[in-house]
Amino acid sequence: MSAGKPASTTSTRSALRALSDDLASAVERASRSIVAIHARPRIPASGVYWREGIIVAASHTIRKEQDIAVTLPNGARAVAQLVGRDGGTDLAVLRFDTTPSKEVIALAGRVGGDALRVGSVVLAVGRPGDDGVTTSLGVISAVADKWRTWSGGEIDRFVRLDLSVYDGFSGGALVDADGGVLGVNCSALARGTPLTIPNTTVDRVVDALLTRGHVARAYLGVAMQPVRLTKALADRLQLGDSARGVLVVMVESESPADRAGLLVGDIIVAAGGTNVVEPQDIAELLGTERVGATLELSVVRGGERRALEVTIGERAPAAEGRRRGGRGS
Amino acid sequence: MSTALAARFGSFVGHLSVAAELETLATKLSLVTVRISSHGTRVDGVGAGILWPLDDRLSVVTNAHVVPSARGSGFLVESVAGRVANARVVARDRELDLALLALSEPPDEWPTPASIGDARTLRAGEIVVALGHPLGVDGAMSVGVLHAVPNADESLVRADIRLAPGNSGGPLATLDGTVVGVNSMIAGGLGIAIPAHVADRFAREVLSR
Repeated sequence: MSAGKPASTTSTRSALRALSDDLASAVERASRSIVAIHARPRIPASGVYWREGIIVAASHTIRKEQDIAVTLPNGARAVAQLVGRDGGTDLAVLRFDTTPSKEVIALAGRVGGDALRVGSVVLAVGRPGDDGVTTSLGVISAVADKWRTWSGGEIDRFVRLDLSVYDGFSGGALVDADGGVLGVNCSALARGTPLTIPNTTVDRVVDALLTRGHVARAYLGVAMQPVRLTKALADRLQLGDSARGVLVVMVESESPADRAGLLVGDIIVAAGGTNVVEPQDIAELLGTERVGATLELSVVRGGERRALEVTIGERAPAAEGRRRGGRGS
Repeated sequence: MSTALAARFGSFVGHLSVAAELETLATKLSLVTVRISSHGTRVDGVGAGILWPLDDRLSVVTNAHVVPSARGSGFLVESVAGRVANARVVARDRELDLALLALSEPPDEWPTPASIGDARTLRAGEIVVALGHPLGVDGAMSVGVLHAVPNADESLVRADIRLAPGNSGGPLATLDGTVVGVNSMIAGGLGIAIPAHVADRFAREVLSR
């Protein structure tokens, strides 16, 4: 194509060239497991082929539940149905009507959680439509312990990314420099911050959605706000330096809290033997595995301290799906 | 700026030579990148241009919006070495956002033109670089990756790369310095470039008229 006196080009293999080739190959490998999901107006979203016949996507990108069009890596279209979704982790599971062949789509090649290291070079790979795979390059900027999303989901590791978020990011895969999948990306769990939901969490949610159709969410049925007790009261009740607690401002009728006799106006100062200073302290005691377990609460009522036992309940999945932003537990 | 990026990429892969490679690439691209300004208004509306290989003519391809007709048809083109030539707009296509400039009486030691490639042959994730004058900073390089492979003849090239006003008209290039796009705009954070083969076709059509 070029004419005249083009600048000379070099063809020597270089470290930089090798890195570039590695990155492109990583995207190519991962792209064989990434689909486009047409379940909302305008921009389609990405999904990852997770298990035989099963796609994982970001729940907030799925606006329809039946006969969802899916673009396969080779550009062909397939149809899938929503199996279930979990607002807490923003994950959704879809099942192909007809499982595509191995030549058409490959299961995500996952790598272990110890590959999630701060500073690792990573690529976000997505497929926001029929125009092929898209990517952005960056690094893992932070890795921390288990955390709870604003909508109550439990995520095994907090994995924050330093990379640009474009269309197709959510529901796409985070891949390492070899194209191994580290998790499913989501920008809707922390005010647009690019995060990755690690493989172990995705697997757990997929298991729950495939077996029960929803993720069991432990709950008490109370709304709370932090309060400070007067020093006189704290001294009298021998609360020590922690003269704080959470005030019960609402008790859902027929909820576990209601059945345990918790009342509006009670101040919870301890739960499960540890001090409570904010509602999050109680939320952290409500893991999925705690459904059916007993939680001991120490409350201040009428200036007196008393103990209550609450049997942790399971939030009805229908209500959970529509719940937005509440801090209630 | 290029050194900082080079150092960053150097640490990525543990090869010290990577830094040197990026510097070499920056130097190479700066030779085929020019700075375009209006007569008498060096401050306003600085853009970039690419020395384009068109037979023996000395031509520059840039964006139409870098050389708007409101500023007339005469512009100053400055090479990386600081040599200045007068240039005349031969054609503007506002739909493609491309313009072709012909240099008149170029000074001695004018650099040789760019080599042109085809973005459709690249792979998503491949490293690409841009050279330009973002926010008036001369000859600044940015490094990123190809976001998506353009899949149709006139599909724009999308790169995960940090561009700013002043990159307009400058090259998007591969690691061997081949120009694969003319940086044109930023959309949703993505660097958007007109594919080099489209710019090349535009330039040749203009000359064949």
